[in-house]
Amino acid sequence: MLKEIINLTLLQHTIRTATPLILAALGGLLTQHAGILNIGMEGMILLGAFFGVVGSYFFGSSLAGTLLAVAVGIVVGLLFAYFVIDLKSDEFIIGIAINMLAGGLTIFLLRSIFGVKGAFSSPDIVPLPRFSVGFLEGIPLLDTLFNNHTVFVYVSWLLVALIYVYLYKTPHGIWLRAAGEFPDALETAGVSPRKMKYISSILCGVFCGFAGVHLSLGYLTLFTENMSANRGFIAMAAIIFGGAHPVKTFIAALMFGFFDALGIRLQVVGIPSQFTQMIPYLGTIVVLFIVAKNLLRKKKKAIEGESYNE
Amino acid sequence: MKKKNIEYLISLFLSIFAALVIGAFIMWANGRNPIVGFAALIKGAIGSKYNIATTLAKTVPLILTGLATSISFRSGIFNIGGEGQLYLGAFGAALVGISLVNLPGLVGIPLALLVSAIAGGLYALLPAILKVRYNIDEVIVTIMLNTVAVLLTGYLVNYPFASDVGKLGATEVIGEGYQLSRLVRLSTLNTSIFYVIVITIIMYYLLERTSIGYEIKMIGQNPDFSRYGGINVKRRMIFAMVVSGVLCGIAGAFEVLGVHYRFLQHISPGYAWDGMLIALIVKNNPLGVVLMSLFFGALKTGSISMENATGIPSELIAVIQSIIILFIAGEAGFKSKIKGFFARKDGRKKVGEKNA
Amino acid sequence: MAEKLIELKNITKKFPGVLANDSINLDIEKGEIHAIVGENGAGKSTLMKILYGLYQPTSGQIYFKGQPVEIKSPLDAIKLGIGMVHQHFMLVPSFTVAENIVLGVEPRKSKIFADYNKAVKITEELSREYSLKVDPHAKVESLSVGIQQRIEILKVLHKGADIIILDEPTAVLTPQETEELFRVIRRLVDKLGKTVIIITHKLQEVLALSDRVSVMRQGKMVGTLMTKDANERILAEMMVGREVLFEDLEKKEVARKEVLRAENLQARDNRGLLALKGVSFSLYSGEILGIAGVEGNGQSELLEVLAGLRQVEKGTITINGNEAANKDPLEIRELGLSHIPEDRLSTGLSVEATITENMLLGSHRKEPYAKRGIHLNRKKIRERTDRLIKEYDVRTPSQDVVAGNLSGGNMQKMVIAREFSFDSDILIIAQPTRGVDIGAIEFIHKEIIQKRNEGAAILLVSADLDEIFRLSDRIITIYEGQITGEFLSKEITKNEIGLYMTGKHKDLSQGGA
Repeated sequence: MLKEIINLTLLQHTIRTATPLILAALGGLLTQHAGILNIGMEGMILLGAFFGVVGSYFFGSSLAGTLLAVAVGIVVGLLFAYFVIDLKSDEFIIGIAINMLAGGLTIFLLRSIFGVKGAFSSPDIVPLPRFSVGFLEGIPLLDTLFNNHTVFVYVSWLLVALIYVYLYKTPHGIWLRAAGEFPDALETAGVSPRKMKYISSILCGVFCGFAGVHLSLGYLTLFTENMSANRGFIAMAAIIFGGAHPVKTFIAALMFGFFDALGIRLQVVGIPSQFTQMIPYLGTIVVLFIVAKNLLRKKKKAIEGESYNE
Repeated sequence: MKKKNIEYLISLFLSIFAALVIGAFIMWANGRNPIVGFAALIKGAIGSKYNIATTLAKTVPLILTGLATSISFRSGIFNIGGEGQLYLGAFGAALVGISLVNLPGLVGIPLALLVSAIAGGLYALLPAILKVRYNIDEVIVTIMLNTVAVLLTGYLVNYPFASDVGKLGATEVIGEGYQLSRLVRLSTLNTSIFYVIVITIIMYYLLERTSIGYEIKMIGQNPDFSRYGGINVKRRMIFAMVVSGVLCGIAGAFEVLGVHYRFLQHISPGYAWDGMLIALIVKNNPLGVVLMSLFFGALKTGSISMENATGIPSELIAVIQSIIILFIAGEAGFKSKIKGFFARKDGRKKVGEKNA
Repeated sequence: MAEKLIELKNITKKFPGVLANDSINLDIEKGEIHAIVGENGAGKSTLMKILYGLYQPTSGQIYFKGQPVEIKSPLDAIKLGIGMVHQHFMLVPSFTVAENIVLGVEPRKSKIFADYNKAVKITEELSREYSLKVDPHAKVESLSVGIQQRIEILKVLHKGADIIILDEPTAVLTPQETEELFRVIRRLVDKLGKTVIIITHKLQEVLALSDRVSVMRQGKMVGTLMTKDANERILAEMMVGREVLFEDLEKKEVARKEVLRAENLQARDNRGLLALKGVSFSLYSGEILGIAGVEGNGQSELLEVLAGLRQVEKGTITINGNEAANKDPLEIRELGLSHIPEDRLSTGLSVEATITENMLLGSHRKEPYAKRGIHLNRKKIRERTDRLIKEYDVRTPSQDVVAGNLSGGNMQKMVIAREFSFDSDILIIAQPTRGVDIGAIEFIHKEIIQKRNEGAAILLVSADLDEIFRLSDRIITIYEGQITGEFLSKEITKNEIGLYMTGKHKDLSQGGA
């Protein structure tokens, strides 16, 4: 039975299920670095998934679907930024409101546009094209693992590297981090922290849009109610797990994707999947706890160290 | 009444009005007549005894989770974990109801409520302790715990406590003694509404008329001031959080004892989130929670009739609700923007304004 | 006459409810050190933030080299060659020194990447050029305040500043660091032709350093004079607006009894550094004991320790014969101690709460305001609040006004009313008149003296030496967490006290011996 669960397909599924988590987490870590906790990712993903389907269905192209989802992502990112940055509203209230709005709006539109309840599927929805890396095709293991994925799988990996370079190696990224850690310092240095925060929020909207499109136009071409299914929160967990570092967050998202995929496999063979599904959430609390404890210990150590010096 | 409160009430009505106008616009854009739509909505909410009963039934979990949010947010510790506490509370009540089937209601119902209160309270205690002892962000912890609770009860209800009748994602029906009686034919309104009235009065008294409520309020406004004045800030925060969890647990219990008579895997469609938004809209005022719950309950009930009569999907209400919360959350910001507009030349809010 | 670099004409700045700057005129000449002095809240910082583009003036015009300019943001100011070293340093804690210095103007390679090596090189060069030693790779959060200030100055210089504004630069420095800073400033001006504007309220510094000095008072510019024509008395008069003369306060002889004793107290500050290094003293009923010291020498920590708000590491506190070290604030209050904290906005009150609620704290579990400690008796509470408002002259239309809407003086009177109403044996009073208008100062002083005359033991901390001298019977000086001297206030002068406050008394006695 173990063989049925842990096999190549599992890893392949891991890559697939981790992708939206990676994308959303990368967006969320940008706002995190800019000093905004964005719990509206859940809703942003959902909107992306829905409008991806809308665009693909009506324009007959997955690119159109993607573009529409991105456009909506930008709008929601702007909305979030406007409320949080300019109106100084509480970021988590706005996040919740966006989640709620996305939940209601997608169902509402699902019914008023497509006239269906629950889920919408149609052969007219054009899925995202599958990509394969040519030279891997001959190699049996790598072929199954890394080929025949949607473009976003590769985009997400590329983005990990890009965002790493952006945050730590470009002035713009440095400003983004400064905007989050100490906006006044950036402001007095002549760079507007407000602008940086806006940019992070818009990018987060865009990446969540990607994540949504991957969900609805990737492997199954359909939209179902609440199809984001907590992925926004798992992405947040991955950010916390990875200390908002792009590579570590990527690894955390992959790990959570693995547990997700494992859960699905377990269900197939009739083993309860709830406990594997809990891992990201419980893991995050454990990580927070360890970090907090270390912080306390460090403080204590600093004090002791100083006493010795006297 | 204070000037500030009146100003806020005006903003609140403006926000609701604006959201309803947007709702009307959406109806119109869908090719429906908004007047017909809203008429159907109002009729559906309060047009008959049955409709009123349904509205009231819908307010039960909203009031409880709204009060739960009020006490926690007032004390400055943010319980976003109501949904999880509600699930555990609901399961706890169901567990009592299916284990001690033959208990008479007089003993059984209080016992079930007690167990659900303990379950919800304990589940809130954990993030509270992490917060006051280790300064771990309770918002994140409670969000994570929500899903854990849903998954855990999902497991319990599908495996060890699954109903014999197929895979329903439900427990067996609770003993008859536990089932709160229905008050109006066909509607799910049940005697839990009386419990809710009592709980509301207690919570109002606690928050507005006692030294404990005063301490909670002061802590939420300024914890340093409170500590300086001799309040045990940590203990009060834990207290507020646990009471919040207890209320959510009880909200879950009433769903089991009064509505479904069993635990269901997806027993709450997000009551705690709704309750939280309600509390936020009325700035954690307990009486406001009741009124706003009635309003939201009416919207929910009426939206079904609206859908039947006009074909406008009932989810429009969720959209309207979230627009209200957006307006309310932006209220202070909007106000200062408007004031800024009239006093254009006044300075921008910038670095270290306090030092001016 | 030297070239006028900057001219401010009729600059007015209104904040909601406050006129922070009222038609200010000021000109800055090339190559001078121009000091701007004034009491807290006189509007110095606001004026400089306008010059640096952080605030926009409500009206008025800025001229740069004779041309009218609009400075809409710090970027505009930087372009004009204006740099500002803020009182609270504008450094990103987790960034390295080099990263902070080039923030906003990062050197690049291949146009898009930040060139960190070059940033390090720039830092090293700057460091050499201006003889300000820094480690480019060190993280700012691990550095001392003095070094952080150095980085700020380098940062400003790196941005090409010719005019450097320093906002209260010595407030957080040790005397040695202050001297070092002054050497740096002199070198910048004399050798490198920079212009410096320095905001301060320490008159000795002004006299020691500046070429010209402008005095501000309550949002207005009182005047500018050559430093060589000024002395402390003249400046003080200009700052306060009259000769500093209060009517004498009547101090009665009261029976003295020791009510509080601190022995060998040690405690740490928020950063974990030892802020109190063995402080001992006694406080007697019917006296006011003033603690004189430069801010940041342990006074704040001492008060917090006594009030139960900060952990005592070693040593004992005895209040009315009871051991009180590391008791919680409530227990200490019950032993008979009330506390007027130094920062009323963050600790002394809740700005969101009404006067009623603010005044209730501490009585909210006591009869008759709370029956059985639980049920609040609104009528009794409101009666008490009304009584206190009247007794302490809190100017407000009603007790339902939110505290944040009161003026500084009225807020303070509210806090004092609450704390004095407990009739405690011991009163700890910190900065009682900071940011308070003159009329209220007089009132507050009288209330304090009255408490003393009624037999209360009062511990007073104030940054205002005049206040300490005026109110205290006895004065102890504190320097770097230790008590350096104890005097009867009539037997010592301000100048002498100054030596003890800065630890220089040792040089004296050693020199004499």
